[in-house]
Amino acid sequence: MTETTIGAGRYRPARLLIEGWALLGGVALLGVVAINAWSILAGWIANAPFPGDFELTEMGTAIAVFAFLPYCQLTGANVSADIFTMRASALKVAAMSTLAALTATAFAGLLIWRMWLGLVDYRTYTEFTGILQIPIWWAFVPALISLVLLLAAALITLAEALAALRTTRST
Amino acid sequence: MGLAGLGILVLLIAIRMPIAYAMIIVGGVGTAVLNGWPIVLSQLKDLAYAQFSTYDLSVVPLFVLMGAIAARTGLSADLFRAAHAWLGWMRGGVAIAAIAACAGFGSVCGSSLATASTMGRVALPELKRYRYSNKLATGTIAAGGVLGILIPPSVVLIIYAIIVEANVVTMFMAALLPGLIAVAFFILTILAFTTLAPGSGPAGQRATRDELLDATLNIFPVLVVFVAVIGGLYFGLFNPTPAAAVGVLMVILIGLVRRKLSLWETREALLETARTTGMIFLILLGAELLKIFMARGGVPQATAEMMANSGLAPMTTLILLLVALILLGCLMDSLSMILLAIPFFWPVLVEINGGDFVAAADSPFGMSTEDLKVWFGILALIVVELGLITPPVGMNVFIISAQAPDVPMRDTFLGVMPFFLAELLRVALLVAVPGIVFALPRLFGG
Amino acid sequence: QEHTLKLHHFLSPKAPAHTQMLEPWAKRVEEATDGRVKIEIFPAMTLGGKPPQLPRQARDGVVDLVWIVNAYAAGAFPRTEVFELPGVHQGDNAAVNKAMLAMYDEFLAEDFQGVVPMFQHVHQGQAMHMAADEVRSPADLEGKKIRIPSRTGAWVLEALGASPVQTAVGEIPVALSKKVIDGALIPWEIIPALKIQEVTDYQIEGPGGKRLGTTSFSVLMNEDRWNSMPEDIQAAFREVSDADWHAEVGEIWKAADDFGIKIATDSGNTHIQLTDEEWAAFEERTAPVVNRWIEEMDGQGIDGQALYDRAVELVGQNMATN
Ligand code: NA
Ligand code: NA
Repeated sequence: MTETTIGAGRYRPARLLIEGWALLGGVALLGVVAINAWSILAGWIANAPFPGDFELTEMGTAIAVFAFLPYCQLTGANVSADIFTMRASALKVAAMSTLAALTATAFAGLLIWRMWLGLVDYRTYTEFTGILQIPIWWAFVPALISLVLLLAAALITLAEALAALRTTRST
Repeated sequence: MGLAGLGILVLLIAIRMPIAYAMIIVGGVGTAVLNGWPIVLSQLKDLAYAQFSTYDLSVVPLFVLMGAIAARTGLSADLFRAAHAWLGWMRGGVAIAAIAACAGFGSVCGSSLATASTMGRVALPELKRYRYSNKLATGTIAAGGVLGILIPPSVVLIIYAIIVEANVVTMFMAALLPGLIAVAFFILTILAFTTLAPGSGPAGQRATRDELLDATLNIFPVLVVFVAVIGGLYFGLFNPTPAAAVGVLMVILIGLVRRKLSLWETREALLETARTTGMIFLILLGAELLKIFMARGGVPQATAEMMANSGLAPMTTLILLLVALILLGCLMDSLSMILLAIPFFWPVLVEINGGDFVAAADSPFGMSTEDLKVWFGILALIVVELGLITPPVGMNVFIISAQAPDVPMRDTFLGVMPFFLAELLRVALLVAVPGIVFALPRLFGG
Repeated sequence: QEHTLKLHHFLSPKAPAHTQMLEPWAKRVEEATDGRVKIEIFPAMTLGGKPPQLPRQARDGVVDLVWIVNAYAAGAFPRTEVFELPGVHQGDNAAVNKAMLAMYDEFLAEDFQGVVPMFQHVHQGQAMHMAADEVRSPADLEGKKIRIPSRTGAWVLEALGASPVQTAVGEIPVALSKKVIDGALIPWEIIPALKIQEVTDYQIEGPGGKRLGTTSFSVLMNEDRWNSMPEDIQAAFREVSDADWHAEVGEIWKAADDFGIKIATDSGNTHIQLTDEEWAAFEERTAPVVNRWIEEMDGQGIDGQALYDRAVELVGQNMATN
């Protein structure tokens, strides 16, 4: 796969933070691995599978996926189809990248606003996981941090796209 | 309305909007235009969380993680070394070994791109060393990469199973035999290639008995992981998510025992998982928003009825749908395609097969709708995977080109063409003889 | 039409709940309002999200109506959970459904913020589907891995000495056939859809159809939407969803349940109705579950004892008068 080091370039602290957060998401995913493996082993050895494995898997996966989103945005992992624009001028490509970065920025902002209200909602009308009785809103907290970082990542890509737009227009 | 939405979707994708965002925009704005903004805004309060915390999807990042770690534990190099020891002496043998190693790696990795890039790193230098032609060398790896999704585990197949409500394990069983046939066809393709152009794939060295034994013993770990995970699934020792978790644990252990999995490699594996998983789940969120828009616009029923009343013979319709997927594959990645097309195509097939509860004997395809689900899933898997090697957008070809910068991309696309034809032949075979797909599921009672 | 309402639910459009309950109800509402109300049903979560979110979708007005399993959004409907406790459901759906209606104003209304229940009901009750084990006493369940239907279902299984396991409904057949679980607590009604008869040998319930608890369901409307409709239309909704309808829903679910167990016995499965004596051992072991629930409700400031007593009393009365 492509080289994943992103510490270089401008906005270095933000980049490192986003990468570190994605790694924390990876650790959450390893936690999901551990819970499932533990449940299987406990089921085989002690005939007593861990009854909360199901809901912890759901919650852990969601937390991990949210944590991955900023890193995806920053490293351009979100696939697009380049077919129609392979011969497009550098200016057009820069303009299209700007539009994509703007979309990501708007999306991150919108989702921060809405999921904040979602958190409030899940606290007002409390909902728990089925067995372990973990409040669902807990998972919204790391998710919102992820979205703030997604906004940061989108803004960085937007700045880069605008810079590219300026350079291509001036040449 | 739905049609206008689809038009805008295509337009957005054409101007290089990431496919996930194109879906999110059309799905969100479309729903708002139909039923008002408050609905969309309310739903966005927890739709993403709901989508990301869906249990059935939790298996996806785990299989991605398993492949990412496996790629860094030296398993891919071991596989290639063993295949090379067995097959290297033949004309075209190094390329055949690369295909065999791709298949082996595909049995522990759920993604095609990861397989192509991993095996490319291992096998491309060797193919170059033995003076294989650029076309055959790069074409082989680009094509071999698709074995990553053709041989279970397969992320695309998991998503398909969720969309049509099929059993993932049954789909994994159905995929194995067709996957092995793909391996056989690819090997025959290389033999044909090197027979027609002997200089393109010279024979390598014959391995000594010791080398052969040593290399063979070294692939034991891959075998253990495959038997534990896929075997465990087939024999029902566990469900998909725990199976994938066990697989991750096993490749981590292998990496630790072999001292290949340093902290740095772990970090790289996690970041690769982050990129792939984040990309997949953002597309899944987009697909969910698009689904909501289409359902509110009544599009799925309308298209299903339209197709069902089109007067086309059922088999013609099926072939048209497959051709549509191949064409779509020229532009899009396989996952987006499955998510975009299957929700439309599947109801059409159910309708023309005579509904959900039709008896096999009374149906035009000669199979129950449950069986049709499995058969069509495997056919669709093959044709969407073809998109990875067809121009102009062929992700596998792009990856291999990046690893072999001295080879013009045109040569890679040309080199992959014989394999593309072999795949078409395989689709024809599976359309003509559906029994190949059902053999393993029946055997395991899935 | 003056009012077109979207009804969202999680089951397939072929499920009896869709064809035999929701569709007929929607049709009766349309008829009772002379076509001024039209109800479009969206099954299988086609309007997005996961089943636990359905009550929020109704409250937020994402859709107008939802049909829900109350317990899917764990903790959201603490009061209606009383009907799921062992000893409340005595094998008579209609009696429980009518008790739910009767208790609404005084006991249950606080569970339903921002939504208005159209009607509420339960299914025929949790029974034991066992892959290979004949269960006649709690000792036969000792250490067995059983798929739980709900939170209180898990408590019941723990009380009986079994190991509760969470499994998605669709995974139940494979899990049973491969011994990932030894059995499942669900009603008979699920048998045809999942072909449970092929992966089990025994279907076991208490005397006279008594079960180990049940599941509460509701059809809810967005509150603003409800208030926006004229009184005569509201009255039509109430009339269509009266006590007789609650009883009829009980019969619909009983018929689906009877059909399920017939499929199982026709295919050669053993259907066991435990004797009163055998059942007494189960009741003795599961009785503490009720206290556990009451204590938890006390912690939330809900008078669980009053809810439980009233529910048992009303169900008993309804059964006597049926
Ligand atoms: Na694979
Ligand atoms: Na392509």
